[in-house]
Amino acid sequence: MDHSAAISTRGVTRDFPAGQDVITVLHGIDLDIRAGEMTFLVGESGSGKTTLISIMCGILWPTQGQVEIFGTDIYALTDTELVEFRLANIGFIFQQYNLVPSIDAAANAAVPLIARGMAVQDARAQATEMLNALNIADQADKLPSQLSGGQQQRVAIARALVHEPRLVVCDEPTAALDAKSGRRVMDLLRDIAVAEDRSVIIVTHDNRIFDLADRILVLEDGRITHDGKDMPEDH
Amino acid sequence: MGASRQKCKKIGLVMIWIAIRMLTGDKTKFYGLLFGIAFSTLLITQQLTIFVNLIERGASGVYNVAEAEVWVMDPVSRTTDISYAMPSTALERVRGVPGVEWAVPHIRANAAIRTDTGDLEQVAIIGVDDATLIGLPRTMLEGDVSVLARPDSVIIDDVGTTRMFPDQPTPVGEVLELNDQRAVIRAMADAIPSFTSTVVLYTRYSQALRYVPGTRNRLSFVLVGAADGIPPGELATRVTEQTGLRARTRDEFAQDGVDFIIENTGIPFNFGITVLLGFIVGVAIVGLTFSLFIRDNIKQFGALKAIGVTNAKIVRMVAAQAGMVGAIGYALGLVGTAIFIWAFGGDPTFKGFYIPWQIPLFSLVAVFVILGMTGFFALRNVLRTEPAAVFR
Amino acid sequence: MALFPENLSFSRKILPILAVIGLIAAIAYIAFGLPDRQLEEPAEEPARAPTALADISRVAGAGIVEPSSEIIDIGSALSGLVTGLRVQAGDRVEQGQVLFTVDDRAVRAQLRQAEAAIGEARAAIAEAQSAATTAAQQLALYRNVEDPAAVSRAEVIRAEGEAASARSRLQLARARLQAAQASAGTARTELGRLIVRAPIAGEILAVNIRKGEYVSTMGGGGQPFIQMGQTQPLYVRVDIDEDEAGRVDLGAAAYISPRGTADRQVQANFVRAEPQVVPKRSLTNNSQERVDVRVLQVLYELPESASGDNGLFRVGQQIDAFIPARSGKTDER
Repeated sequence: MDHSAAISTRGVTRDFPAGQDVITVLHGIDLDIRAGEMTFLVGESGSGKTTLISIMCGILWPTQGQVEIFGTDIYALTDTELVEFRLANIGFIFQQYNLVPSIDAAANAAVPLIARGMAVQDARAQATEMLNALNIADQADKLPSQLSGGQQQRVAIARALVHEPRLVVCDEPTAALDAKSGRRVMDLLRDIAVAEDRSVIIVTHDNRIFDLADRILVLEDGRITHDGKDMPEDH
Repeated sequence: MGASRQKCKKIGLVMIWIAIRMLTGDKTKFYGLLFGIAFSTLLITQQLTIFVNLIERGASGVYNVAEAEVWVMDPVSRTTDISYAMPSTALERVRGVPGVEWAVPHIRANAAIRTDTGDLEQVAIIGVDDATLIGLPRTMLEGDVSVLARPDSVIIDDVGTTRMFPDQPTPVGEVLELNDQRAVIRAMADAIPSFTSTVVLYTRYSQALRYVPGTRNRLSFVLVGAADGIPPGELATRVTEQTGLRARTRDEFAQDGVDFIIENTGIPFNFGITVLLGFIVGVAIVGLTFSLFIRDNIKQFGALKAIGVTNAKIVRMVAAQAGMVGAIGYALGLVGTAIFIWAFGGDPTFKGFYIPWQIPLFSLVAVFVILGMTGFFALRNVLRTEPAAVFR
Repeated sequence: MALFPENLSFSRKILPILAVIGLIAAIAYIAFGLPDRQLEEPAEEPARAPTALADISRVAGAGIVEPSSEIIDIGSALSGLVTGLRVQAGDRVEQGQVLFTVDDRAVRAQLRQAEAAIGEARAAIAEAQSAATTAAQQLALYRNVEDPAAVSRAEVIRAEGEAASARSRLQLARARLQAAQASAGTARTELGRLIVRAPIAGEILAVNIRKGEYVSTMGGGGQPFIQMGQTQPLYVRVDIDEDEAGRVDLGAAAYISPRGTADRQVQANFVRAEPQVVPKRSLTNNSQERVDVRVLQVLYELPESASGDNGLFRVGQQIDAFIPARSGKTDER
């Protein structure tokens, strides 16, 4: 196991019951994600990339195998410890953004801080700074429903980064955006998210942005079939 | 350790800030939930209040007498209205019991009188001890108890006034005929009406004997005060042992009156159904709305779980949402009940109605149960949600 | 909590505040609306057991104050108009003192008539006596004549007849005198009966006649003419329920208070218990009542300080009595 890696998985398999049968979605994944890199996880629907990313960021238990994030064996933690570990170390950007509709942009971006126990006012202030970095500080007081898709995505990014996590996980960050906005969001992610000691994993099948990757992992039928800076030609 | 605990507490609090915003953000459901809780509270509290007050009308005869700690009666007597007369020496027999501080005679009987309008009105005649006037209601609305010293005086109760003299500003001065005797109304008492709202005329014991055509035994009750340091319950036992008469403490006898109404009317059943309906309506409205609300927000809850909010905090968030809905809804329902009782307090039918403090507590418990039940089912969905679901 | 003062939300701020205010108001309404069911001390002092008997077994009774002689309803032996009333209620009288007089004119006329008859009888006696004397002298004269021829036989018989007649006239006159005297005596007795006197020393309790009223021996009106009795000392007659009668400590002093003045209690000494248990006299006095409660009547003597003009007790007053029970009797029940 590579202890210098941001995430290392060893022999991760995952089974899902399907009626009488058991479907094995992941077949012994061994991976080391390096810090300071933007890693793309690419695969068709049903290839198991969602399962893998869930296991890698500590929200889905593997059937077998071990996951270490920055040297912590996360599935050896108790439930509560794992939740707190996620809160401290991982930032999430969901495909649907999953912003809380009834609180404004700043508060939404401040959720991880609030969840850590920071006072709402301080958390908002810190989140507003982050929104400023993302160029939407002027939208801080608006509700998510009042924002455009790109703006919502930026709020989601702010929420993922506001608490300075060491790992950022993005699920299809560009899926709901047009090419131009998608590109801009990805540039932003590259500029702000990728830093020393922080790794960014992006789950996507949007080939328009593959050129931004430091490393592309292709998952097919539960196995890593490609690992490199660029996409293989057949994709 | 203490610091970390404080931090945990704080975490709970700030997450509740989000929870409350989630709740109030969806106005339709928020007001739906409030309405459900408020309506249930109103229905349960108001119906229970009316129910309790109605059946407590069976005890009004007892509670109108402020001085008596123990009521002594013939063994077959049941309530203030259903009594079998005793020989007049029963008074002295009761006085002979150690621990009896004082004992006075009390007569309750029915008579019929013709009103001005020519209707026949059933009246209750209550004769109180000539010397001490023990047995009268505590307060007079008009006049003074001393009017009973004058011959042929009676005191009418206020609800009786509204029945007998609906159009007159005051009944004082009216002359009635009772058993061929003259009776002049000289004061009006502030009394809680009986279950049947019978007109009540208070007069002196000796006068009552003349007003009520009767048989040899006329003494309905002996009202007893206990000596210092002797509990009424023990005194009642002593009286029964020594005299063979039935002795009930004030509270027991009040309960007897209530029990009599419970046993002999369909009131408890009917009100029980209404209260149950209120509960069911509450469960239905609140349950459905709350589950819908949780279902709508399940993605947000999932996201929060993924980001790093523990189940315990999620529970606290949902509890806070339920608590806010419950508290406001309950308050509104209670205010509604209070306004109802206050607004109808002037009506003779509702005279003396009050909200027993146990009933708001009961409806509070009912609100707790409603929210607990619906919150439990809603929470189960949230807790079951895999955080991984947010990636789908 | 002025986090976002610009964002004053109705649902989150105003509504909860309204709810809290409403809740407080409702709770206050409920709290102050609760019925006052506190027990109260009686405003007027009811009859209480004396401290001495408070916690020991005792018997209570009700009774009436009466004179120690009981009440004497003074009647009149003869009917007639009241011509003189010598007493009024409250007077103390000696035995034999005149209470009232009834019209005596008729009787006095009878007396005068009788007296006239006496005079007449006396005159008749005198006349008869003189006639008898004359006849006797004449007869003696004839008897002393020796010569039978000098006085005819017929003369002698006539003289004898006159003498006998005069004697019988005298007897008749004497009888008439006696009759007249008897008649005068009767009239005098009647006169005496028209003056009603006190049978014992005592106090006049009630006077129900006035001068000029007609008093009838038939007892008209149902009221006694004058009521009197010995009020020094006063007695109380206490009725004890027959059920309780066995428990009374006969001989012990009783605690007596008048109705309505229960806080002033006096101790009264035992006098006697009536030998007969009588039906309880009901307050209603309805003659159709069937009475099945019987009472033992016990008499107690009120202390002198409690009676009298300014005393606590008056004849006919209702009282409440507490009497010690015979020790050990309660346990048998």
